Amino acid sequence: MNIWLRNRKITIGSVILYFSITVLIFICAYPFLNVIAYSLSGYNAVLTGRVTFYPIDFTLSAYRQILGRTQIWISMRTTVLVTLMGTATSLVLTIFAAYALSRNNLPGKGLFTGLILFTMYFNGGIIPTFLVVKGLGLFDTLGALFIPQAINVFNFIVMRTFFRELPKSLEEAAKIDGASELQILIKVVLPLSLPIIATISLFYAVGYWNSYFDALLYIQDPDKYTLQLRLRNLLFGEELNSSGITGTNLEGIGTEVMSQSLKMATVAVSTIPIIVVYPWLQKYFVKGVMIGSIKG
Amino acid sequence: MVSAKKSKRKFIYVLRNIWNCRMLYLMLIPVIAYYIIFKYVPMYGVTIAFKDYNIFKGVIGSPWCGFDVFKTIFASENFWRSVKNTLVLNFATLVVYFPMTIILSLMLNEISSAAYKKMTQSILYLPHFVSWVVVAGIATNIFTQQGGTISWILKSFNLKPIPFLSDNKWWIFTYVICNVWKELGWGTIIYLAALSGVDETLYEAAYLDGATKFQRLIHITLPSIKSVVVVMLILQLSRMMTIGLDAPLLLGNNKVMAVSQVISTYVYRLGIQNAKFSDATAIGLFQSVVNVIILLAADKFTKMIGEDGII
Repeated sequence: MNIWLRNRKITIGSVILYFSITVLIFICAYPFLNVIAYSLSGYNAVLTGRVTFYPIDFTLSAYRQILGRTQIWISMRTTVLVTLMGTATSLVLTIFAAYALSRNNLPGKGLFTGLILFTMYFNGGIIPTFLVVKGLGLFDTLGALFIPQAINVFNFIVMRTFFRELPKSLEEAAKIDGASELQILIKVVLPLSLPIIATISLFYAVGYWNSYFDALLYIQDPDKYTLQLRLRNLLFGEELNSSGITGTNLEGIGTEVMSQSLKMATVAVSTIPIIVVYPWLQKYFVKGVMIGSIKG
Repeated sequence: MVSAKKSKRKFIYVLRNIWNCRMLYLMLIPVIAYYIIFKYVPMYGVTIAFKDYNIFKGVIGSPWCGFDVFKTIFASENFWRSVKNTLVLNFATLVVYFPMTIILSLMLNEISSAAYKKMTQSILYLPHFVSWVVVAGIATNIFTQQGGTISWILKSFNLKPIPFLSDNKWWIFTYVICNVWKELGWGTIIYLAALSGVDETLYEAAYLDGATKFQRLIHITLPSIKSVVVVMLILQLSRMMTIGLDAPLLLGNNKVMAVSQVISTYVYRLGIQNAKFSDATAIGLFQSVVNVIILLAADKFTKMIGEDGII
């Protein structure tokens, strides 16, 4: 930090600053704590709404119940599968597009880039897209959950900007040694681009993990429900009794309240993977966002 | 003769260049195929906005009907209400979100402890990565009138519970709070980047000249992020007609439909749930066209005031 700031005394201003930031951190973290507290609380506490950010009448029964909910695990598996396939597909296509269109000498570059960028501003909308997906026979398949939105233009711009800024000398050296474009991409460009690959992978993976609307649109078979769709139905009661989410082994009022803890435990389970991955990638994505917001 | 020879040579040069780039074209094949199939074919599909769409005849076979669909839509009260709600929700969010991100960025920029700053940023960015389903679920926990946390707190002070999710005005409030909570930290990244680029010697000189902290903020910090602020404001204003589907759909309920029905949810309900494909497509098209017009105008405006364009 700057010298003229480092040596200052503790002022009223800095006390207010640190105090308000701390309050803000609490506000930001509170809902997460609330979820955990709910999932670990006894049902009387949950019923009255007095659970805030620490568990009351600590119990693990909600988590124990989740273990027995095969549907949640089926959805978890589907989501993991879609996230992995989707991220891989998206990453490869984005790298191909960004790499090819970051070369200066490519004839037709402007046309192809324009073709891609135009879709940022104008699109057919959900119904025509829905009809295309249906027409291709992707309806009610997992492919519908990642193929129709495989490339994100923003991510493409970020990656293309990154590739453009790589030192040209290395590629030229490889070219003189007789390397093909594909070899240059794999052996020279990609090893230098690990930070941006990590960032873009995170963006895609989080996007796939969190998306529920595509599943709502395209998936009918409950066995193919993604975790977020299952969660939505569970939280906002679309399939209250049909799927057995509210539990048949519990009786009376206990059922509903138990399910509130159960709901929050499911929320926790579905969010934990993101929270686990996130800190490892944090140092990369800030740069990615900055590149993207300066635009291509 | 000479020019013919020249153009022939140029032609050969271009061909050779294309041949040299064959690997790049190979990489572009799946990309372009993707764009044509999933973006440009649906763009052709918007023609059903001008057709009496029949599911058995398909997009191409359905008969044209001119602007009939648009006439129906523009006469529909629900449509105009969804446009109004979109604008109201976007504007309400912008009014709170925009100044807050700037203030928060300035605050974060003042934190001198690097470790504390990093921790703060980690926590503030986290909500951006949480799904709307989860956010709406948590919001229900906190805001619901029956057994929600806030009701419980109010009750313990003998106050009346507030209908955050079931009263129109309060629902807008809740919607804004949830949006701001989710995106506030993320929105600071761009400003922090601009702030980190401010020339340190300016502060140093001002400090030596006896400028107070507040004066340094007004005369150095703010002017140096001014152009980012202006561009971000224009960018966000130009998105006023676009609204994500997740938040209004998940937070909304039947009681607040009068304020929570926005363009995107209306298109979804009309098109997917009621199978009125032509109507829904026409609304989508209307929205896209308005967006493009706003964007072009905004781009022109940004260039007029001496900034880089936004397209």
